[in-house]
Amino acid sequence: MQRQLTDEDRAFQQEMRQFFTETVPEELRSGLSKDGEVDPDVMRRAQRLLNEHGLAVPHWPTEFGGKDWTELQRHIWRTEMQAADVPPPLAFNANMIGPVIASFGSQEQKERFLPPTANLDIWWCQGFSEPDAGSDLASLRTTAVREGDEYIVNGQKTWTTLGQFADWIFCLVRTDPNAPKKQMGISMLLIEMNSPGVTLRPIKLIDGGHEVNEVFFENVRVPADQLVGEENKGWDYAKFLLGNERVGVAPVGSIKRKLADAKAYAAQTKTATGTMLDDPLLAARIAELEAEVMALEVTVMRVAGNSKEGRPDPVSSILKLRGSELQQEVLELITDIAGPASLHWTPTDDIEEWAARSTPTYLNFRKASIYGGSNEVQRSVISGGILGLKG
Amino acid sequence: MDFAYDDEQKALQSAVREMANRLVPQETSGDVPVGPRPLDRDAWTAIAEMGLLGLPISEDAGGMGASPVEVSIAAAELGAARLELPYADAMAAAVMIARGEGGDDLLESIVDGSSVVLTALAEPGRAWDPEHPEATATKSDDGWTITGHKLGNNDLTEADAVVTTAQCPDEGCTCVFLVREPKASGASVSFESAEAIRLGDLDLLTEGLNVGIIALGGEALGAMGAALRSTVEYLKTRKQFGVPLAAFQTLTQRAADMYVSVELARSTVNFASMAITDHPGDSATASRLKLITGRTGRHVGQEAIQLHGGIGMTAEYSVGHHTTRLTQIEHTFGDSRYHLARLTAGVREHDMVDVLA
Ligand SMILES: Cc1cc2nc3c(=O)[nH]c(=O)nc-3n(C[C@H](O)[C@H](O)[C@H](O)COP(=O)(O)OP(=O)(O)OC[C@H]3O[C@@H](n4cnc5c(N)ncnc54)[C@H](O)[C@@H]3O)c2cc1C
Repeated sequence: MQRQLTDEDRAFQQEMRQFFTETVPEELRSGLSKDGEVDPDVMRRAQRLLNEHGLAVPHWPTEFGGKDWTELQRHIWRTEMQAADVPPPLAFNANMIGPVIASFGSQEQKERFLPPTANLDIWWCQGFSEPDAGSDLASLRTTAVREGDEYIVNGQKTWTTLGQFADWIFCLVRTDPNAPKKQMGISMLLIEMNSPGVTLRPIKLIDGGHEVNEVFFENVRVPADQLVGEENKGWDYAKFLLGNERVGVAPVGSIKRKLADAKAYAAQTKTATGTMLDDPLLAARIAELEAEVMALEVTVMRVAGNSKEGRPDPVSSILKLRGSELQQEVLELITDIAGPASLHWTPTDDIEEWAARSTPTYLNFRKASIYGGSNEVQRSVISGGILGLKG
Repeated sequence: MDFAYDDEQKALQSAVREMANRLVPQETSGDVPVGPRPLDRDAWTAIAEMGLLGLPISEDAGGMGASPVEVSIAAAELGAARLELPYADAMAAAVMIARGEGGDDLLESIVDGSSVVLTALAEPGRAWDPEHPEATATKSDDGWTITGHKLGNNDLTEADAVVTTAQCPDEGCTCVFLVREPKASGASVSFESAEAIRLGDLDLLTEGLNVGIIALGGEALGAMGAALRSTVEYLKTRKQFGVPLAAFQTLTQRAADMYVSVELARSTVNFASMAITDHPGDSATASRLKLITGRTGRHVGQEAIQLHGGIGMTAEYSVGHHTTRLTQIEHTFGDSRYHLARLTAGVREHDMVDVLA
């Protein structure tokens, strides 16, 4: 065991911190969002700047822009980026489809897709979930029928995050309805969003924002060379992708950033005798959260150190579970600090931006324990996969 | 102690339920706005016509002469139906006017819905603490004037008058005031030597807020009950892995915990509405109610969304609206932390909590 960073890692941390706080301009760092919604232009500019400096896709193979970093270095990179409020590279590109294409795609696909994916010249979205296939993803029904050198796709996807900005969608489709197990008849297709027959319908969430969509496919013709890997092997690629999705999903850097922000907000909210930060009940909640976040952060490092050749440790379910819970608790704390101001969602001279955003943001992040494998699913992974408790 | 509603209370309950369901589209519909909204005047008139705005006001002042118990019964139906109106806020203001001195001429129009009077008790940049405001009041031969910035719980642009607090440095106390024609911009209102009527002292504030808190408790109960009902229904019908979600014990046990929360909140709200009817100044009971409903509201709201999965997050589905409203209720008239602090300061003053006192 060794607690301290080596001199080399410390220098690396310093380098990352400097880049994210000094080279990345303030206007890209002041948050992902405009009025709480993602600003695609800020996302593109931020990712391109990172990519230009070789910092967008460090976990990819080196020939496509990856860095041969250790897990600890990746953790430092990610945490420093989040702590500086730099928009992280689009997860659908950097953590999901990129690594899948790099591992299972044809050489042509790698050359065609990986550079624009790293540079966010292609904006990807994820077409997995369907109305009747959520946690039970393998029961998906969207079909792809091979006709010559094309697939004809019909069906519906839902919850497609940021689909309104996407150029391409990576989809799970059913190619063999008669497979002995439903997992065995699924393939992964790459589909251009502007293909004839693709339509998108926005879904409004409870914070009033629009980030998810339904996507409909009606006789959409997809060139067969846009199949990833082999036909009917899509489930394996999806499992690989979801495993990657889970690693690094504990946004420790942003949780710490938010918790520090919460303290600053409490210190500027006056009471009859001082500020909210002087209130022992509030201070106790912050102190508890700081201890819990520390426990999570050191677990992230312990797990990161353990994982071998990019294969996720099942313990990474802890990170998804606790990361989403703590993220939600910190956002809840901020609504409580805003107090009466949290009732009003529009900032004014009297209501600061952070206070006006507090309730919609808190509500929006109830999603964190639902998507990317719900917390119930993570508990099943832990009880079944680690503890050997089936059922 | 008897928690059963009498016939009149049951009649009130079903009448309000029927009306609220008529006023709110019950089908899942994307048209229902999310978040804070301006006052719906038509709905306001409808609840006034049913007498709900006069429930806690005595009959000789034009009201229904009912008690906080009836207020909570009515509010529960508004909450269940997602009829988001500033009902609790208006009841708090009405009680302060009715029991205070000087605003009597407004009562009739408050009860019939033609005047909207709301509270503006918070202050920008400050934690909830209406008993220690920064705003100041000055007395002259012509009466009182107030100077300061206030924040309401609602959009105040439609308010014909607001009830607020200000400190009176000359007399060394904080009092409750009525300000007519407040110049509001959204939820904020700023007073510069605004003419005000002094309604009373902080005991009046406590009595008004206690009724407001009872109304919030009722509304929270309605919202929690509805969220629980949809969750149970959803667990029975939504299928994943070839079986209804109700086949997963981890989910049904959590629904059971939600039920436990709702029922404990129900007892607390019902008990508190009776206790405050008997002792209008019982702020400890009001704080316990606020603490319990604040926590159970979070529990039930968060679980309702979680057990629904993605659909629970959407503006088209009801549980997200109930959770949004429960979050607002938690932050109205002091949150769980505020009320816990108030209770904490008083633990030395009693040996046991005596609910039969
Ligand atoms: C904001 C948001 C963004 C999303 N973005 C995307 C996206 O970009 N692309 C995409 O493909 N998908 C996306 N999703 C979909 C997400 O992955 C699903 O919502 C998730 O898999 C849950 O599925 P469901 O909503 O159908 O809920 P259900 O599967 O119906 O689950 C309902 C509840 O039951 C629980 N449950 C289900 N099965 C079990 C079980 N076997 N044991 C115990 N509990 C169980 C769940 O945990 C949940 O609490 C997004 C979802 C949200 C909310």
